[in-house]
Amino acid sequence: MTKMNRRNFLKTTGGVAAAAGATLAAPSLANAAAGGKVVVVGGGCAGATTARYLKIGNPDLDVTMIEPNATYHTCFMSNEVIGGARKLSQIEQTFDGLTKMGVKVVKDSVTGIDAAKKTVMTKGGSTFGYDRCVVAPGIGFKVDGWADVGDFTKIPHAWKAGPQTQILRDQLEAMPDGGTVAIVAPPNPFRCPPGPYERTSLIAEYLMNNKPKSKVVVIDRKDKFSKMGLFTGAWKSLYGYETPKSFIEWRSAASTGGIDSISAKDMTIETLAGGKEKFDVINYIPPQKAGMIAEVAGLADSKGWCSVDKVTFESMVHKDVHVLGDASVASKMPKSGYSANSQGKVCAAAIVNLLAGKPVGTPSYVNTCYSIAGKDYGFSVAAVYRYDAAKKIIAGVKGAGGLTPADASAEMRRREVEFAYSWYDNICRDTWG
Amino acid sequence: MRKSMTYALAAGALFGLIGVSSAQASDAEASMLANTCNGCHGPDGSSYGPAAPTIAGMNKFYLVESMKAYKMGTNRPSTIMQRIAKGYTDEEIDKIAGFFASKEFKRIAKQDTDSALAEKGKAFAKDLCESCHEKEGYAAEDYPILAGQMLPYLRNNMMDFASGIRSIDNNPNMSDKEKRKKKRSIADLQEKGGVDAVLHFYASRK
Repeated sequence: MTKMNRRNFLKTTGGVAAAAGATLAAPSLANAAAGGKVVVVGGGCAGATTARYLKIGNPDLDVTMIEPNATYHTCFMSNEVIGGARKLSQIEQTFDGLTKMGVKVVKDSVTGIDAAKKTVMTKGGSTFGYDRCVVAPGIGFKVDGWADVGDFTKIPHAWKAGPQTQILRDQLEAMPDGGTVAIVAPPNPFRCPPGPYERTSLIAEYLMNNKPKSKVVVIDRKDKFSKMGLFTGAWKSLYGYETPKSFIEWRSAASTGGIDSISAKDMTIETLAGGKEKFDVINYIPPQKAGMIAEVAGLADSKGWCSVDKVTFESMVHKDVHVLGDASVASKMPKSGYSANSQGKVCAAAIVNLLAGKPVGTPSYVNTCYSIAGKDYGFSVAAVYRYDAAKKIIAGVKGAGGLTPADASAEMRRREVEFAYSWYDNICRDTWG
Repeated sequence: MRKSMTYALAAGALFGLIGVSSAQASDAEASMLANTCNGCHGPDGSSYGPAAPTIAGMNKFYLVESMKAYKMGTNRPSTIMQRIAKGYTDEEIDKIAGFFASKEFKRIAKQDTDSALAEKGKAFAKDLCESCHEKEGYAAEDYPILAGQMLPYLRNNMMDFASGIRSIDNNPNMSDKEKRKKKRSIADLQEKGGVDAVLHFYASRK
């Protein structure tokens, strides 16, 4: 039975590859016999981890990773670029490590996935056949109708790292002392729940040290946020929060009554309670959904996210297509880099077993997320997860995980920064090789 | 033909799901459990630094003792490990420890160590540390490897031994004789001003 399937598979992919060009046909034919062909869409944390661990799990697998950018800028630690502690080049990851492991890295944009024919189409005109497809497109934006932000060059989102990160950094540097920075924090769910508040902290630190007459105002679309107690505690001890000289002002959704307009032309934000206010720098982080290809391929639900089997990360919509990372609904894991990395390993192990005709093993997942609030001031949240088959959720182990205690010593907070930097260096090597 | 493949995979997936629903947490394979640690401790447990320790190549007993100490939360202080260790059963800890013990301790982090200080530390290490941390800290048989370990990690732990928050007295895995020896060595090292030199010596080992 396996033999017949294999032959059938070869015929299909061979035909598709031939249509796409002889260069693709040869490797897909050669390697398909050894274990199967996997196409990974996206070279971010989830996609790259899956590609790497597929090769670790079975070096004979034919793994192709398609990513539109030549390199990847991590969102994690991008707030340090915005605050000025790091250069953009220090959050740039290459795909050389993956290539060395035998992952075929293709620089192209995926334009469609044909789940019936089991093919992936690209903007460059190529078609790739697969036994299993892994879709890890990260996030897309649901830009509000009232937000006139154009192409995000004057009002950056800086929520996908890279040139956007640099735009925001450059605007902060160009801003005269006495200026006001606005961060429009998104509604749930969104990538990196503590991210807007770490950003707030590191912008405040930059202003305090360089432009002490300035401040940062967070106009939030929520009434509470991730690690709220730890952040506000840090803001009080570092940036005079809730005093007249505070470098930070945080406005809840309830206090502003909601946003009515944002104008890139006038550099204004209008809220129900505050009317029209002018700002010198505006960082508008839009509401979010799964990356565009998830929608195009019909993998996303009405809310814009992708439902998956949480043991294999196989899509609930299309068979043999797996979705993971920020684009997936992996409750109760947050949309974080560590979650994406952890899910990549679970998904890779499942695919290796499925392609070998073996049962899928028991998964194990972890999330570890550090935030840096200022000099020698870090904290974290962690969770160890199991699959809860009854509730069909990835449930945190009771009694484990949680936040840095509010009363952690200054020495422990200093160490959390050291470990945050270690986390960065190690997760990047674990993800991109 | 495609249909038959579909059935084969569906059967595989179903088998997998049955396994999951009836499984205890400890059914997860060692690699599945251990790989979740790599994000902080580095691929296969060898750290790129700057502070998170390499756990690869350590003896299994030491790794088990450390995880259990974190889990108990009594004599091993931490930032995050106490929260994480509580997520695993003793069986799982045993598997994770076995996995990392079987890996090679790779000295891959670029560490900023002072060679003059390290040279000075070599003599202190020989006098005061070598009897337990043998082979200039490369030995893994009975005690943790120190050679090539992260400098900030070593420093933090020496600080914690000195302050007593990493309690030698309350370590259930040390004999009274070992405890006396360790406390005496650390006190000697402090008295002679050799702590930093010893840390640089071990961290600089390639």
